[in-house]
Amino acid sequence: MNPKIIYPIPERLGSFYKTLRSIARILFIAAALICFLVNYLTKGKFWSIIVAWSLFSLWRLVFSLRLVEFSIYSHANKVTFYIVVLLILIDRFLSSGWAETVIPIVLFADLLVMFVLFFALYDRKDRHLISVVLLGLFNLVSIPYSIHSWPIENWIAFSFQIASMALFIVMLLANRKELVYEIKARFATNTK
Amino acid sequence: MQGNKKDLHLEKLKGGLKDDDREMIDVFFTRLSENIDLPILSKGLLTRHFIDGFEYYLEEGKSVPQICELLDVGNLGSFYSGTQRRNYSLDNAAIVYPLGMKYGQMPMFRLSAELKEEVEPVLLQLALDFTIKRFPSFSAVIKNGFFWHYLEGVNTVFLAEEEKDIPCKPISIVLRSYRSFRVLYYRKRISVEFFHVLTDGSGGMTFLKTLIGEYLRLKGKKIPVSQGVLDINEEVKEDELVNEFKNAKGDALLSTFVDKRSLQIDGKLGRAHISRIVHYEMDAKALNDIARSYNGTMTAYITALLFLAAKECIKKKEGIFNIQIPVNMRKFNGSVTLRNYSMYFNASKEISQITDKRELVKEIDAQIKEKGSEKMMNQMMMTTGKLINSLSFVPLFLKVPVMQSVYGYLGNSIIGMTLSNLGKIDLPEEMAEEIERMYFVMPPGRPNRATSTLATVNGICVFTLIRNSKDDRYERVLLRLLEEDGLNVDLEGSIEYES
Repeated sequence: MNPKIIYPIPERLGSFYKTLRSIARILFIAAALICFLVNYLTKGKFWSIIVAWSLFSLWRLVFSLRLVEFSIYSHANKVTFYIVVLLILIDRFLSSGWAETVIPIVLFADLLVMFVLFFALYDRKDRHLISVVLLGLFNLVSIPYSIHSWPIENWIAFSFQIASMALFIVMLLANRKELVYEIKARFATNTK
Repeated sequence: MQGNKKDLHLEKLKGGLKDDDREMIDVFFTRLSENIDLPILSKGLLTRHFIDGFEYYLEEGKSVPQICELLDVGNLGSFYSGTQRRNYSLDNAAIVYPLGMKYGQMPMFRLSAELKEEVEPVLLQLALDFTIKRFPSFSAVIKNGFFWHYLEGVNTVFLAEEEKDIPCKPISIVLRSYRSFRVLYYRKRISVEFFHVLTDGSGGMTFLKTLIGEYLRLKGKKIPVSQGVLDINEEVKEDELVNEFKNAKGDALLSTFVDKRSLQIDGKLGRAHISRIVHYEMDAKALNDIARSYNGTMTAYITALLFLAAKECIKKKEGIFNIQIPVNMRKFNGSVTLRNYSMYFNASKEISQITDKRELVKEIDAQIKEKGSEKMMNQMMMTTGKLINSLSFVPLFLKVPVMQSVYGYLGNSIIGMTLSNLGKIDLPEEMAEEIERMYFVMPPGRPNRATSTLATVNGICVFTLIRNSKDDRYERVLLRLLEEDGLNVDLEGSIEYES
């Protein structure tokens, strides 16, 4: 059967990204399993969990992008989440005692970058407002984590958290109208 | 930078013109600038479309006043200058699409019109710039709510692009995250590909007709506002944006929603979303006469052929084969909504009982009349509504993983394929003269190996088979069955994308 061809012949028939994704999936699963096995056989610290989480993070951040509302802001949130969990895992399983200081610094730095981007592209603020709010909330969630040792033992973390909170409040006040609109839209239930 | 480049193009445009014309162009572009309140890059892009338009018309020998009238800035309305935001909750048919979406799988469909002349890209772009404001629910992007996805209207510049890829390729979320449809051109063809959350075939066809109407106006033709061609400058009607599913009446019956697992046509599933498209082009009257000679409608006749071909292409000797047939609900109540407003039913047949063609057409015709009736469709709408209401307060982050794991099994496994008939597409006479034919492409969802569509315009019926497997037996059997009934079939289509 030879129909007359009326569609253009695509320049690339296969997708390089799709092929890479298939290969990466197999390699990542194999690498994680091998690490767990070697870790189990050699005993010692539970380092394979960190390898497995890193591979999972790489998969989620590079090969499994959000299908709805992907943006540099939402992706930055995702990166931050995976990094924070990784830091907690390293702190818990390899060398402990520093994560509660480092995590607030990472979160604050991320929030600061997001703020700069947010106000630099202010005419598109409605598209990204919720991502910045989520990161701000993420920062707030980390406060109880270090507040128990305030003020002497962990004043660095606490100062960064205060700074984050201040930035967050400024952002909320500056965009309160848009925020109310966003919240109403996001929490609609489709029942009417 | 963008501004400088734009000014350079504008100066080049004015070179060699009379003072009056130069002044008129200045006034035109000042007014244009006042009407656009977009980020600088988008503003530059939109202005460039108008500069290209002027260049095109000047080459065609049109005078500056004529061009200013054709490209009247008033046609843009307030779409590019307004900052009004509007959200649309997804209709009950659209709500499931983003829930079941996975990487590389996006429910898309394409409507195409083959014109009698080569498409002029500059004019198509301007036609799109003018038309989009009339379809605010199409200039929208999907967003995550806490309970459901929803559409948020965006005021941005949409581009008409040259077709280069496999039809209905998922819209890239990374590079072009702020659009849910695309307008494409290739030689004499204008196509629009929609993310199914926006609309269904009928709503999409209204957009395509209106776009072509505007394109033809820019080409100097007079196209009346009728038969689905909307006036791009009239106010958007609320009736066009309504979710009609919420007006359904009747009883909810879960049995209208569930069905037995269907057999699938043999053949290894392709890796891309489409392996090949074949258009079977026939004389609509001849096809209708054949269908009547079997005492059935065109849909019943083609469905019967799909069953007969399936029997030859499925190794299993027992089991049910289901063909999903969408029903345009607008035909029951005359709704003008541009959102999704279609329901569907399954025409079913035990594979071992597919024997006599005449009997089969008769039986399918009866199934269409019974299962596709207004009462049954209303029951299905009510069931859908109840299911959605019961899930209303379940957070989206819980719904998405559950739906992603069951969608393929519940949704597509109970059907073997789909036949979507757009029916006879009515066009204003002046537009029909400019159009050769129209067709409809809808990729199969996994694990289905094929879908099919029908569209009739200007007495030409195009039956399209979209395959997603490496085995081309099904399309060959269908051709043989059509030719056995004495139909003259012209074949057109794509290359084998995965040979």
